[in-house]
Amino acid sequence: MAQTKAAKSDTILFAAPQSLEDVPLHYCPGCGHGIVHRLIAEVVDKLGIADRTVCVASVGCSAINYLYFKFDGLESSHGRAPASASGIKRCRPDLIPFTYQGDGDLAAIGTAEIVHACARGENITVFFINNAIYGMTGGQMAPTTLVGMHSTSTPGGRNPALAGYPIKVCEMLSTLEGPAYIARVSIYNPAQVRRAKQAIELAFRTQLAGLGLALVEVLSPCPVGWGVEPVQAMDWLVEHMLPQYPLGEYKVTEAVQALKEVKGHA
Amino acid sequence: MHEEIAIAGTGGQGVLFAGRLLAEAALLEDREVVWMPSYGAEKRGGSVYCNIIISDERIGAMVVVRPHAAIAMNLAWTERFEPAIKPGGLLIVNKSLVPRQLKRDDIQVIYLPANDLAAELGDDSAANLIALGTLISCRPVVSPSSIYAAMDNMLAKNRKRLEFNKRALNKGLEMAPAKISPTTSSSARPHPRATSL
Amino acid sequence: MAKRVLMSGNIAAAEGAILAGCHAFFGYPITPQNDLLEHMSRRLPPLGRIFVQTESELSAINMVLGASAAGFRAMTSTSGPGFSLQQEGISYMAGMELPAVIVDVMRAGPGLGSIGGAQGDYFQATKGGGHGDYRVLTLAPASAQEMMDLTMLAFELADKYRNPVVVLADGFLGQAMEPVAMREPVAELPGKPWAITGARGRPKNVLNSLELEPADLEPRMQALVQKFEMMRQNEVRYESLDLDDASMAIVAYGSASRSAMTAVHMARQEGLRVGLLRPISLFPFPYQALSDLAQRVDDFLVAELSFGQLVEDVRWAVGPNHRVELVNRLAGVRLSAEEILEAIRKMAR
Repeated sequence: MAQTKAAKSDTILFAAPQSLEDVPLHYCPGCGHGIVHRLIAEVVDKLGIADRTVCVASVGCSAINYLYFKFDGLESSHGRAPASASGIKRCRPDLIPFTYQGDGDLAAIGTAEIVHACARGENITVFFINNAIYGMTGGQMAPTTLVGMHSTSTPGGRNPALAGYPIKVCEMLSTLEGPAYIARVSIYNPAQVRRAKQAIELAFRTQLAGLGLALVEVLSPCPVGWGVEPVQAMDWLVEHMLPQYPLGEYKVTEAVQALKEVKGHA
Repeated sequence: MHEEIAIAGTGGQGVLFAGRLLAEAALLEDREVVWMPSYGAEKRGGSVYCNIIISDERIGAMVVVRPHAAIAMNLAWTERFEPAIKPGGLLIVNKSLVPRQLKRDDIQVIYLPANDLAAELGDDSAANLIALGTLISCRPVVSPSSIYAAMDNMLAKNRKRLEFNKRALNKGLEMAPAKISPTTSSSARPHPRATSL
Repeated sequence: MAKRVLMSGNIAAAEGAILAGCHAFFGYPITPQNDLLEHMSRRLPPLGRIFVQTESELSAINMVLGASAAGFRAMTSTSGPGFSLQQEGISYMAGMELPAVIVDVMRAGPGLGSIGGAQGDYFQATKGGGHGDYRVLTLAPASAQEMMDLTMLAFELADKYRNPVVVLADGFLGQAMEPVAMREPVAELPGKPWAITGARGRPKNVLNSLELEPADLEPRMQALVQKFEMMRQNEVRYESLDLDDASMAIVAYGSASRSAMTAVHMARQEGLRVGLLRPISLFPFPYQALSDLAQRVDDFLVAELSFGQLVEDVRWAVGPNHRVELVNRLAGVRLSAEEILEAIRKMAR
C-alpha cells in the first residue's frame, strides 16, 4: 500500500500550462489579467493548438502579453486588433488568431473594428477584459465605467449628463447576425474561474469549427484603478459590476450549441 | 502625327464610350494614346468630358487645353469648345440639341443632327457614334476599320448592339467632308441652315 | 514586344499588384481610387486571393498589417483623407518592420478638399507622415505603365527592406487610360522566416514595435535609421530629359511632369535650353542628382500640383546660389504645358 501511495504522490496534479512562458508577469497585485492568461494557455494546451495559435495583443495593460505565451504574437495599434487578426485569418485560415483587448481598446477607440469584425462574422476569437477603468494610463474613465464611479478623469463620479453611460458590449454585439458565440463571464471566485475557462474553450472551438466570431467578455478586477485592496476588489466587482453587466451567454448559434453538446466538452 | 481631340456632352450620351473607341482604335494602329476623362461625384445627367491624344511620339501633357478637333453633344460644351479649338481645327456640333450658329470662321464647323440621324436608324442613343464617324471622316486620325475592330473587342458579347453601332458609325462616315461645306460661319453665310445637314 | 492594353492608371496598379503576387487587398471606397478597389473585388477571389471592403481606411491598413505579419504580400489603396487615417498603421508597420504597399491616388485638400487630382500629400508621403521617426519608400509613377511597373517594384522593395512602400499617384494618373505593356508575373516570392505562421518546430515569432525601456528601443531605432540610410544609397530613381545642354531645369513628378515634358518641347522650339528632371523615387529624393545638376544649370523651375512642397526639397538640393521658382495649380485644377511654358519664358527673360 505504501508503494501505491508513493506512486500517487509522484503524479502531477497541478503545473504551469505548457503554453505559458516561465517569466514573472508585470501586472499589479490582484489584477485579473494573470488568471485569464493562464486560462487561455490551459485551453490552448488542452486543444493542442499552440503551434497554430496567434496572440494579437492590444494597447493597454496587456500590450505586451505576447511575451507571456509561447506561441506567436503580434502587436496591434489601439483598437485595431480585430482588423489585424482578421487579416491573418483571411490569409491563413489554418492559424488560430485571438485578440486580447481591454475595455478602452475594444469599446472606445476600437468600437468600429469590433462591430464590423462581428458584422462580417470574421472567424476569429476575441477576449474582452472589462475592468471598468483605464489601468495603464492611470485610472481614467473607460467606456464601461459605471455611473457614479470615481476615476481620475471623473473626479465627482461618472455623471451621465457629462460623460454618458457605460456600454454593454455583449448586449450590443449580440444584436448582430455575424457573431456565433458571445458570453460574459467573471473570475471573482473559483467556480466562476471554471466557468470562464469553459467559455474560453468554447470560443476557441467555435473558431476551430469555422463557425464565426466568438467573443468572451471577462469581468475582471483592477484593485489599483479602483482604489481597493485585492480581496475587496472581488467583492466590489460582485456588488457593483454584476448588476450592470449580468453574466451569461448572449449569443449561441445552433451550430455552437451543437458544439457545446459534443461529448467530452468541459 | 499628334492629334488632340475632345468629346463632351451630357451623361448618357455615350461620350466616354465614343472616346474610348477612338483610343482603342489608335492603340490597334500601334500609336501612343491617352484617354482622359473628367470625373466627378457620380451623378446621372451630369456633364461628361473626355479627351484623346493620339501621337507617334511619347505623349507629355495628358489634359488637352486647345484641341485640334472636338465633338460637342450639347449647348454648354459647344460654347466651351468654340473659343478653345486650335485655328484650322474642327468642331462637330450636335445640331439636334444645339440650335445656334457659331461665330468663328478660322475653324471647320460641322452642324451634325446626330440625334435625328440616330433616331432614323432606330435608336437615338447612337448619336455619339454618328458624330465619331463624321469626326474620323473629316480628320482621319484612325481608319474606320480600326474602329470596327475596337468595337468587335469591346462589344464581343453583344452582337446585336455591335451591328447597330457599326451602322451608326457608317452613317457618320457618310457625312463626309466633301458633302459638307468645310467652314461655316453664321455671320458670313446668308443661309446658314443650308450648309448644315 | 509585350502585348499593349489600354488601361487606366488605377487598373494598371491593380494588375501590377496581382502580377507581383499580392495575396490580399483591403480597402475603403474613396474617389478617385474607387475603380482600383472595384477591380480587385472582381479579380482577386477567382484567383483564390483575398479581397475585403473594410469599414474604414483604419481597418484596411490594420488588416494589411495582419496579412503582412502572416507573411503575405498585401496592399491597400486610398486617397488623401483615407491616407491620413492610414498613417497610424503605416507608422506601426515601419516600427514593426512589416512590408506593405499603399497606393495613394492623391486628390486636392486639405480637409475634404475636392476629388480632383493633386499632389498635396507630398510631405505626408515623403517625410514620415505618421508619428515617430520613420520613412517609407515613396515611388511616383507618371504614366499608366509606371502605375503597373512601380506597383510591382513597390512589392519587391517592401519585402527587401521590410518597410511600407507608398505609390504616390494622383487623380489624373489614376483615371487616364494609356497603353500598358503587360509584364510577366513574379515567379518566386521571398521567404519570410520572421512571419507569424504558427510556432511549429521553431521558437515563437513576435512582431512588435514596443520596447518599454528606452535603452532597449534605441538600438532598434538605430537599426531602422541604418535601413533608411540604405534606401537613400540604393533606391534613388529619376529620369532626365534634354538636360545635357540645359541652362534651366524643370523639376516635376507624376502628372505634373507630363505637362512639364510638353512644356520642355515647346520651349526648345523657341530656342530655350530647357530640360526636365523627373524624380521617380520621392523618398529617397534625388538630392545628389540635383546638386550635381546645379554645377552646370543656373535656374530651376518646379512644377507641382501643390502649394510648394516639392520646391522645398529642390531648394535644399541646389542650395542658395540658384534661382528656384515655382509654377503650380491647386485644388484639382490641371497644370497645363502652356502655363509651365509661360513660367519658363518669364524666368528666361
